Amino acid sequence: MKGAQAILEFLVQQGVDKVFGYPGGAIMPLYDALLDSPVQHYLCRHEQGAAFAAIGYARSTNQVGVCIATSGPGATNLLTSLADAKLDSVPLVMITGQVARAAMGSDAFQEVDVLGLSLSICKHSMQVLEPQDLVPCLQKAFQIAREGRPGPVLVDIPKDILTGLVPASPEACKDYSIPEHSDQDLQVANQLISSSERPVLYIGGGVGMANAVAELRDLIQRTGLPQVCTLKGLGSAESEHPLYLGMLGMHGLAAANLSVQQCDLLIAVGARLDDRVTGKLDEFAPHAKLIHIDIDPAEIHKRRRADVSLLGDLKRILPMLGKEQVKQPWQQWVSDLKASKAFPYAEDNSPGQIDAPQLLRQLSDMSADDAIVSCDVGQHQMWVAQHMRFSQPTCHLSSGGLGTMGFGLPAAIGAQVANPGTQVIAVCGDGSFMMNVQELGTLRRYQMPVKILILDNQRLGMVKQWQELFHEERYSETDLSDNPEFSRLAAAFDIASDVIHCRSQVADALARMLAHQGPYLLHVQLDHKDNVWPIVPPNTANHQMWEQPK
Amino acid sequence: MNYQLDMLLSDQPAVLERVLQTTRYRGFKVDSMQMQPASKQMRVSMQVSGQQPISLLTSQLHKLYDLASLECQAQLARNSELQSA
Ligand SMILES: Cc1ncc(C[n+]2csc(CCOP(=O)(O)OP(=O)(O)O)c2C)c(N)n1
Ligand SMILES: [Mg+2]
Repeated sequence: MKGAQAILEFLVQQGVDKVFGYPGGAIMPLYDALLDSPVQHYLCRHEQGAAFAAIGYARSTNQVGVCIATSGPGATNLLTSLADAKLDSVPLVMITGQVARAAMGSDAFQEVDVLGLSLSICKHSMQVLEPQDLVPCLQKAFQIAREGRPGPVLVDIPKDILTGLVPASPEACKDYSIPEHSDQDLQVANQLISSSERPVLYIGGGVGMANAVAELRDLIQRTGLPQVCTLKGLGSAESEHPLYLGMLGMHGLAAANLSVQQCDLLIAVGARLDDRVTGKLDEFAPHAKLIHIDIDPAEIHKRRRADVSLLGDLKRILPMLGKEQVKQPWQQWVSDLKASKAFPYAEDNSPGQIDAPQLLRQLSDMSADDAIVSCDVGQHQMWVAQHMRFSQPTCHLSSGGLGTMGFGLPAAIGAQVANPGTQVIAVCGDGSFMMNVQELGTLRRYQMPVKILILDNQRLGMVKQWQELFHEERYSETDLSDNPEFSRLAAAFDIASDVIHCRSQVADALARMLAHQGPYLLHVQLDHKDNVWPIVPPNTANHQMWEQPK
Repeated sequence: MNYQLDMLLSDQPAVLERVLQTTRYRGFKVDSMQMQPASKQMRVSMQVSGQQPISLLTSQLHKLYDLASLECQAQLARNSELQSA
């Protein structure tokens, strides 16, 4: 069998029937073989878009996403998405074509050292140098992408290996050994929990990726632990729980940050004490002991010494944790705090400018329970995280670690491919949307019913907010008041659209958007003066956040 | 602080780059390095120095798929430094 066919057969065996990509010279043999394969290929309009679509596919399903690109510019266009997947631990396999082996190292046409470029931004990468290594490399790639802490793997394949014959039978893969915690550490952790007066559960993206949402919710039920979530942890805990406090960190909700700053025990589950979460590290949860539970040993003690660490599969650890209810005075304190810091949503029909937090809350209430929401990066991303509620972590797709503008639309496309019957909404910034706007072409081609909501403040809003607050209002290159007319852009792709600018239009416009059968773009014009609150200024402790000026 | 790292690596393309890149990125400097082939593997010894806890580096090196084993020892300051002190 030819290499190209062997790849596709292998994908079918892995249960991969949908891939994203973009063709070109070195990868042409694979595209040729696709014509005779049951694997369905989605042509995106930029390799970055294809890879974000694969990320959307992976994050909305917890399955490996696959994308394909040609050598040279195709491969370099993938790199941003590769780094995005690395920082958010997304299981991804990227296949790149390479020039034929005989030409390698000669600065051949469209030759770049993609293996070298990939090293620091993926979980692993391989270049196939012998035909018999092709299938074993792919097998290893899938295994590595999935096992332990997930991540992206790149496989670079020279053209002559795609066209030449390769043996089909894959080797047996080595078993992955999950790191194991000791019984003693488990005991110590449980003792810390039962002796603590003021514990808080700090939930990261690891919970969802370990498929441990049910186990986490059980733990919360058993113990009544107050909970905060990272950006990637949103959707893991039940947002209706009385002691659920929402997101913590730089744009965390006040009650979430204040509870963590007050707690005497922080239980980090699948979280990595990222700097956007901790604020000034020395003053983060200053009275707390730390129990750190994760599958990746490298995260333990990396940013803060853990008093106890439990390594391993969260799905197995969480049921062994916490037996009794958290002490009543603390539950009461947290619940009072939550009530006093509740976000003051504006009254529904008050006249005037659209308030993005209120609109997003309304959208959250009106959309399906299992709706998948992707977003771009900036103020609107933080508003989505603060004000929308998610039933599962797979329902919220946001570029966390890398914070990549242009993520929202292609990620939504990938999520819609993976979940054809599900409502998928991309909440985009006017700046970010233009970074992968070409993917409107993908929507048009496949007529996917993705709903695009552009929160247009005619600014690179988040940067503008920093210029306003921390750079003496010196607005450098953040004005986008010459944005294109987004509905005309949609019309060029035969996508239905609407534009709104005042509060009284919101409810009807959202209802029309959600009821529309095909793809749809809702252009929401905002006041550029609006900012995201609260904000923890750089180098400041989280309890010293600035709240919304009255 | 100075450390001696003894590694057994599978003889894959880019394996040295991975080790060196990880070492640099995690804040350590390579002071000297020796390597020796060992059937399908290679033995690499590296002397590194840096201010951070060495576990920040070793825990990341352990993640490299081409790393078969790693031993790490803290080293006393080098002789020359001892003499001049
Ligand atoms: C690729 C990329 N370039 C630059 C940035 C820096 N950045 C972060 S937020 C932001 C502004 C985003 O503007 P917009 O998409 O309109 O969102 P808003 O903040 O206005 O809601 C910029 C430029 C980034 N995160 N990603
Ligand atoms: Mg904007």
